[in-house]
Amino acid sequence: MRATFPHLLHLDVALGILYPSLGIEIVPPPPITQKTIEIGVKFAPQNACFPLKVTLGNFIEAIERGADTIFMVGGVGPCRFGYYGQIQRIILEDLGYRVQFVLLDHPRYGVRSFLSALRAMTGGRLFLPEIVRVARLSFAVLRFTEELEAHRRALRCQVKDPQELDRVIDGTIEALRRVKTLRELEALKTSTLEKLDALPRNGRKDFLKVGIVGEVYIAQETRVNFNVEKLLGDLGVYVHNSVSTVEYILHTFRPLTRSREKLEAWELAKPYLKRFVGGEGIDSVGSTIRYAREGFDGVVHLYPFTCMPEIVAKGVLQAVSRDFDLPVLHLAIDEHSGEAGLVTRVEAFVDVLERRKQEKKRGLKRNGSLSRS
Amino acid sequence: MRVGIPRGLLFYRFFALWKTFLEELGVEVVVSPPSNKAIIQHGLVYGVEEICFPVKVFLGHAYTLLGKVDALFIPRMVSFHKNEYNCPKILGLPDLVRNLFQVRSEAIIDEEVNMRDRGIRGWWEGFLAIGRRFTRDDRKIARALNRAEKAHREYRKKLQEGFLPENLIDHRPVFPRREKQVVLLGHPYLLGDSYINMNIVQKIHDLGYSVITPDMVPERTIRKALAILPKASFWTISNEIVGTAFSFLKKEDQNVRGFVHLVSFECGPDSLVGEVVERYIKREKRAFPYLRLEIDEHTGEAGLVTRLEAFVDMMEWRNAHHASHLPTPSAP
Repeated sequence: MRATFPHLLHLDVALGILYPSLGIEIVPPPPITQKTIEIGVKFAPQNACFPLKVTLGNFIEAIERGADTIFMVGGVGPCRFGYYGQIQRIILEDLGYRVQFVLLDHPRYGVRSFLSALRAMTGGRLFLPEIVRVARLSFAVLRFTEELEAHRRALRCQVKDPQELDRVIDGTIEALRRVKTLRELEALKTSTLEKLDALPRNGRKDFLKVGIVGEVYIAQETRVNFNVEKLLGDLGVYVHNSVSTVEYILHTFRPLTRSREKLEAWELAKPYLKRFVGGEGIDSVGSTIRYAREGFDGVVHLYPFTCMPEIVAKGVLQAVSRDFDLPVLHLAIDEHSGEAGLVTRVEAFVDVLERRKQEKKRGLKRNGSLSRS
Repeated sequence: MRVGIPRGLLFYRFFALWKTFLEELGVEVVVSPPSNKAIIQHGLVYGVEEICFPVKVFLGHAYTLLGKVDALFIPRMVSFHKNEYNCPKILGLPDLVRNLFQVRSEAIIDEEVNMRDRGIRGWWEGFLAIGRRFTRDDRKIARALNRAEKAHREYRKKLQEGFLPENLIDHRPVFPRREKQVVLLGHPYLLGDSYINMNIVQKIHDLGYSVITPDMVPERTIRKALAILPKASFWTISNEIVGTAFSFLKKEDQNVRGFVHLVSFECGPDSLVGEVVERYIKREKRAFPYLRLEIDEHTGEAGLVTRLEAFVDMMEWRNAHHASHLPTPSAP
């Protein structure tokens, strides 16, 4: 068996640690490029959401590299993601690819198929102590890749040489692929944080702060969202991303594990959106409110074009933006998105935020009081 | 108390149920008028630009009721089938109306009806919560729901017999039956609103065909046909569309000549299940002609007519040339 899986930022690093120790040979898809997108767009339903197309492109590219088994997860809706695997399986069948499509779906769609998928995905070694150890390690690695990305977003506007920042972080992510134990991971963490601390700073303190909210794939996968966070960072903006695969996974296994972050966001969203509407719709609303409370200057809302939960969020965010006086830039991404248009919009957004900030400052000086914030 | 029901989305499914339930509780029900240009314009102006056309239409209807009623009736129909959902936009519908039009929370009846996990209990508790807005007498609510469900069953039965929602709601004339038939797939709020679907049923009828819609197929038939999929989707109405299509795939019914699938351009569920329907039709030996018609606020009537006419020509041609390939009906 030569198994493959969809890309999601650094998920391949974590799975690259997990699978070999389960005795499963993996063929990761090549990194997402324009070609991946073209392949996906060609064979996917025209009006399907963008992540379905990109991940279909991943599968086909991996099959062409020799993968014969696909690992994919399903879902319970109402977001379309939970039905991706079924559609992709039918498409690959019609294209004549002879691959085994292992689809791990919620047990409510059949306990037996759930167990057999789980067995296939773990090489039948689910409960060996060694597996628990490796699973913990790969989860910790995934968590650390997210921490690194958080540092990258926060530091880009503060360091003298952003390229050096990228070198340190990309170097560590490469090194993570060879980590064997939690102790090695800890050592790598310490040394990386020291390196990051040692990067010369540019001394700026009054940078704009922008939060990113949105759908879990598009808001994180920098290879399809035109790396909006780098774009913002290069414009001198401090960026925070509320979206996280780790939180997503933790939340999936509730009530066994819970994501405090998500529950908090859901609570905050309640006055505007009373319930879960699938995907990350309610998280986008809650996180935007949290950014408003934390004094961020603006929010960028990233989602696939026609994404159902995020469109509900978008409608609701108009009220949030008004009530909290917080500008929100909505960016819908699909294969037709052009980089130039997106860059122009982001730059204009940053200009607006900059001007608002200056005006607020001047207003404060004139009034001589801090009460008007 | 006057309560307004916007004429859109699930209204076409639950018209009889909602109206009877509210009236039994002593509420004066106001239904927004049939769609027209002005109503839809409100939805386009105040809606979210990327939201699907039927939601914009719904928002337009909700807007026209504002100020004319004491409350809007937008129950949160999370699920009306075990283990399934409605689409996220229906889940968030009351919140959209509240936030986009800045309506007070109390002025929207948005109690949740959710059968996904708890089946009929979720149904009853939802309507109980709605009823308690108007009365403290739970028995009265139970009685009202009982009568409403009876009206609902009658409404559904009429639909199954071949009536369209418009025949029953607005008493529009019924089209006479044609021998040749087209399976017209689509959500009830698209098929039921002849303004936004540009009179598609009439147009198909004028071309010499009767339509069979998912509402006309018994639910048991639909669910049985759906079982050929390893996993059906989690959207009830989309499943009914797939099941309807599947139930005709292997039928040796000489009168059914093709499938027309009417979808709104940004419909998430149909973007996936439409693909399933199309691919499963193509896999069959007797591959029915299949036409997907996407509509939104920019769709022109002329283009729609041209495509329908071309499709009818194709069905006729196929029928004439491939008749020998068709399974012969067994002699009685």
